[in-house]
Amino acid sequence: MADKEKKEGKVDGCVTSECLKVMAESIGIGNLPDGASDCLSSDATYRIKQIIQEAQKFMMHGKRRKLIPTDIDNALRLKNIEPLYGFHASEYTPFRHASGGGREVFFQEEKELELADIINAPLPKIPLDITIKAHWLSIEGQQPAVPENPPAVSLDAQKLEALDPNVKASILKPKAKANLNPVKTKHKVKIQEKVKIKEVTTHEMSVEQQLYYKEITESCVGSDENRRSEALQSLATDPGLHQMLPRFSTFIAEGVKVNVVQNNLALLIYLMRMVKSLLDNPTLYLEKYLHELVPAIATCIISKQLCLRPEVDNHWALRDFASRQMAQVCKQFSSSTNSMQSRVTKIFTTSLQDEKAALASHYGALTGLGELGTEVIKAFILPYVKPEGERLRYILEGVLINNADRISADHVKQTLLKVVPPILKITRDSPDDLEEYKQEFGYLGPTLHQAVVKLRQSPSSATSSASNPVMSVFRPSLSISQPRPQFVLQQSTPSRPSTPIRISTPGTAGSSGPQQKFVIVSGARPGTTSGATPGTVFPSTPGTPSAGPTLLKVVSSNPGSNPSSQKIVMVSMASTSDNTTSSNTDSGIGIRSIFSSENKPS
Amino acid sequence: MDKQTLLAVLQVLKKYNLKDTELLLKKEAHVTEDEVKAEPSASGVTDVLAAYKSEGDPRRYESFYSSLKNFIEKSLDIHKCELSMVLYPVFVHMYLELVYNHHEQQAIQFFYKFSADQEWYYQEDLVQLATVTKAEHMAGNQLLDNFKGSKFTIRMSRDSYNHLKRHLLEQKLNILLTIIQDHLFIDVFDGVPRTKQQIDATAGGMCGEARREANKTKVLYGLLKEPEINITVEDEDEGQETDDKPKKKKAKKDSQLNKKQKHDPNAPQLTRIPLPEMTDQMKLEKARAFKEGLRRINLSAETLPSICFYTLLNSYHGVTSVDFCEDSSLMAAGFADSQIRVWTMTPNKLRAIKTSDDLNIIDKEADDVYERLMDDRTSVDCRLLCGHSGAVYATSFTPDRTQMVSCSEDGTIRLWSLLTWSNLVCYKGHNFPVWDVHFSPLGHYFVSCGHDRTARVWSTDHFQPLRIFSGHVADVDTVQFHPNCNYIATGSSDRTVCLWDLLNGNCVRVMTGHKAPIYSLIFSPCGRYLASAGADKNVLIWDLANGDLISQLKGHKDTIFSLCFSRGGALLASGGLDNIVRLWNFSKLLEDHENESTVFVFFFYRNESSAYEIMSYPTKSTPILSLHFTRRNLLLATGPFKGNS
Repeated sequence: MADKEKKEGKVDGCVTSECLKVMAESIGIGNLPDGASDCLSSDATYRIKQIIQEAQKFMMHGKRRKLIPTDIDNALRLKNIEPLYGFHASEYTPFRHASGGGREVFFQEEKELELADIINAPLPKIPLDITIKAHWLSIEGQQPAVPENPPAVSLDAQKLEALDPNVKASILKPKAKANLNPVKTKHKVKIQEKVKIKEVTTHEMSVEQQLYYKEITESCVGSDENRRSEALQSLATDPGLHQMLPRFSTFIAEGVKVNVVQNNLALLIYLMRMVKSLLDNPTLYLEKYLHELVPAIATCIISKQLCLRPEVDNHWALRDFASRQMAQVCKQFSSSTNSMQSRVTKIFTTSLQDEKAALASHYGALTGLGELGTEVIKAFILPYVKPEGERLRYILEGVLINNADRISADHVKQTLLKVVPPILKITRDSPDDLEEYKQEFGYLGPTLHQAVVKLRQSPSSATSSASNPVMSVFRPSLSISQPRPQFVLQQSTPSRPSTPIRISTPGTAGSSGPQQKFVIVSGARPGTTSGATPGTVFPSTPGTPSAGPTLLKVVSSNPGSNPSSQKIVMVSMASTSDNTTSSNTDSGIGIRSIFSSENKPS
Repeated sequence: MDKQTLLAVLQVLKKYNLKDTELLLKKEAHVTEDEVKAEPSASGVTDVLAAYKSEGDPRRYESFYSSLKNFIEKSLDIHKCELSMVLYPVFVHMYLELVYNHHEQQAIQFFYKFSADQEWYYQEDLVQLATVTKAEHMAGNQLLDNFKGSKFTIRMSRDSYNHLKRHLLEQKLNILLTIIQDHLFIDVFDGVPRTKQQIDATAGGMCGEARREANKTKVLYGLLKEPEINITVEDEDEGQETDDKPKKKKAKKDSQLNKKQKHDPNAPQLTRIPLPEMTDQMKLEKARAFKEGLRRINLSAETLPSICFYTLLNSYHGVTSVDFCEDSSLMAAGFADSQIRVWTMTPNKLRAIKTSDDLNIIDKEADDVYERLMDDRTSVDCRLLCGHSGAVYATSFTPDRTQMVSCSEDGTIRLWSLLTWSNLVCYKGHNFPVWDVHFSPLGHYFVSCGHDRTARVWSTDHFQPLRIFSGHVADVDTVQFHPNCNYIATGSSDRTVCLWDLLNGNCVRVMTGHKAPIYSLIFSPCGRYLASAGADKNVLIWDLANGDLISQLKGHKDTIFSLCFSRGGALLASGGLDNIVRLWNFSKLLEDHENESTVFVFFFYRNESSAYEIMSYPTKSTPILSLHFTRRNLLLATGPFKGNS
């Protein structure tokens, strides 16, 4: 009825005479003459409108904006008409729309109910009793930023501020004008500059905010994991952080700059987790700070080197994690004006095109692109499969075997095998010809072919629908049975301190001690949780349903020769295999729990 | 009352066989039996409708209206605005004439051609009007009754009026002339024609503007002289205070009392309205209020109040009213399911009085006899009062907090005892939903208003109303007692605010300017000003001394349901469905008004309302149903949480 009322406010709705004829038939009056039905319909329209107008009074005195059936009943009672009983129940009446034969009908769906079901149904829960909750809406004129109050600057307002051309204009104008005609408008420019300066200088943080800032930043990069998760939680949920946002974004940007040079992987991960928290905070609008955040995230994805020992440390996970944050940024803030996504894509492709770039950078670029969706993969990754494959062949099968490169190459390969097959499955027709694949994708052709065929055989996973096709469609391509190159882990090469500038040119040997453990996290994607190993946790985005259990596989690369010292733990998405062995990785892996967040079993 | 109407009334009385009344009326009005008989029996009430009877050619209406429009557009700019006010009533009456004379098609055509030209604030009425397309519908339609029964009032300068008259006579536009003569009341004044802004500020009433003579009566808006008992009680109470404080306070208090004892020329005599006797409890209460008042923070734009917000959770959209008692210790909420709940806002729990057996054994001479009356075993935080059979639209506490009235959709007003927590009296009289009820500042009297377009004043000891104020042409949505108990103000769906004298029941002020129904009224603590607000989202400030509109405070984005002046009257708080509490600088507004009033002959309008808004405090999703300043100037606000739905 509310809908009806709304419609009548806009257009001149009425009860048509056809409608009346149908009603007449329903009570057994067969042939209602046209004249009579016309007369009745206009009268019915008038009466209904009168009643709805009266009902509005009850709505307003009920302090509501929504007309409810009770209002209509009250209005009917005012007019001395018996109210319509039985329409009290639902607070929201869904009207369905149906059209056909040039007519549009709104109707309310009524299901037939079994009386027995109603009688036998358990009593509904008693509704919660009315309670009063007190909070301070304002303390001596200032609205405190408590959860009961709305955020000081609403998301929309922040958005408006970010998008308002006046704000931007006030920054840009003086410069532009001064350049164009410095003589004429000198006086004006001065005034404008004054105004601008005033706007900029009013940014101050209160003592409380300074304390908070200090506490949060210290906790986020400190060593106490509990404090860190609390701090990240605070960043992700607290309203009213808006004012401190510039400081936080600068903190992150500067932090990334410094720590990339220092190759401090752990700190980079902490900083990326801060980015994630800020992105997750529903009350913050980050667009104004993307110029600092995006380069920082991009650095963490495609930087040549992110850690001191590239062949040992799991910088892959950081790249994966940062890629997801980048995809999130693109999803949230990309618009036609800032063309965020295309710029980000460009960054990645340039890195991918650069043949001299480190494989790690390629890996980052691939994961980054992979997170951006089907279209991006189709357009930017597929063309590179072949040249990339050649490079991989060179490294994996070549003579100059270098452990670090080999690992990198393997990672790149896995990424490609993870990202590409789902797309190929969609874009190519069913009979997959191995030769064609070979022709088109070169070195990776056979493996891709195998993966695509496998994908086609199990349609269930392809239909497991989720919002992001790439994330949900791809299937584990990494399994134990897969032929894979031998890992050569015997290192007697003297460990060379890696320079921060460039190390991973082919031929440069990575260092690794004898007691080395590898954690290869592949296919780690949002929603993946590991229940098997206590303490081994993987990045996840809260809210994404977990697609399948992650299995841990222990592979001793060479059981005979050196079983005690080498372990490779691969975490793959093998949801089909059933013979799982979970292994407790030991202390060598320092970073595995960094990505933990509260909502995970640990 | 002219003879015609009188006869019509007699006819009705005869019809319903009310012989005594008929005789009495005849005797009073000196109507002879012959005259009644001479009148043909058709002179029923419906006869008034016949005024629309016209033989005019339906096709000529459009051209007449267009010509009037052209004439107004071509006239001088200074007259244009005033003259254009004629268009709306003429349009309405022309349409009704067409409908009455069964020219349905022409009527609809006429309506669609010209309805869009009308001012936006009439559109709501026009929507209602558009539903009437048949002569049969005209009977019993409230809006039409208003157009038929009362003349649409327009204020106009003499120049403009003569200009219009001359034109009509010259062009021999008979239909227009009859309409203007029959259905319009043109209130002519000498002076400069008003500007568009001035007109818009006071236009919008369902029946046009207020006539000037309606606001000529003197209103005694001053406060009552404080009774002197205060002093003795004050002394007793202050004995408990620390030694150095009382001296200071006493000096202060004396000066305040002295000030009050000077007779305010605008204050009514204490005996003008019989006021209730002060009970001991009331005296104590007064003393307490005074003492707390001394600790009050004096608010201004620099020292803003703290706001404590009470959110009603799990109310399921059922809260229809919330009210605080004067000393802020109790809060009552009325619900759509006819319950009333009373909460205590202090650590003192709500206790019931002891049973009669127990009462017999208490020591009636004891000092703390009131304390002994209460039964500690019954103390709870929240009391439920059931009795109504419809949504409870308002509640109001007596100043001594022993009683409460509530009004409901079921047409009754109920008086509740807050000692026994039971219903004492059920006042019936409105018969239609009662929208608002308020106790007088001194208790004993209360005023109610409702859908029957009347406001009524009751005393708790009579089951019938003492006064019935009728004159509004639509629902009376809100009502408020003047601080001196001599007047009441009403706000109505006909978009007027009226002030009524309790002594004789006369309407002493009619104030137009609202563009939508009015849902909230509040008198300033000094008694001279009235703030009103409602569905048109503006707060209007009126000067009761002359009925002028002082200012229009714009800013809210949805219907305003609550207004409150701070103690001392420096700030005005408003809140409503847009989930925002706004504070307005009332003292600055008055200052500006006093400085400017000499310059502006009619009034203001330059007063930019945004200059007076101090702050706004949004809530998450809670409309503000009630605002209340405590004696120490803490602002309390309440509303039900609506969630995201």
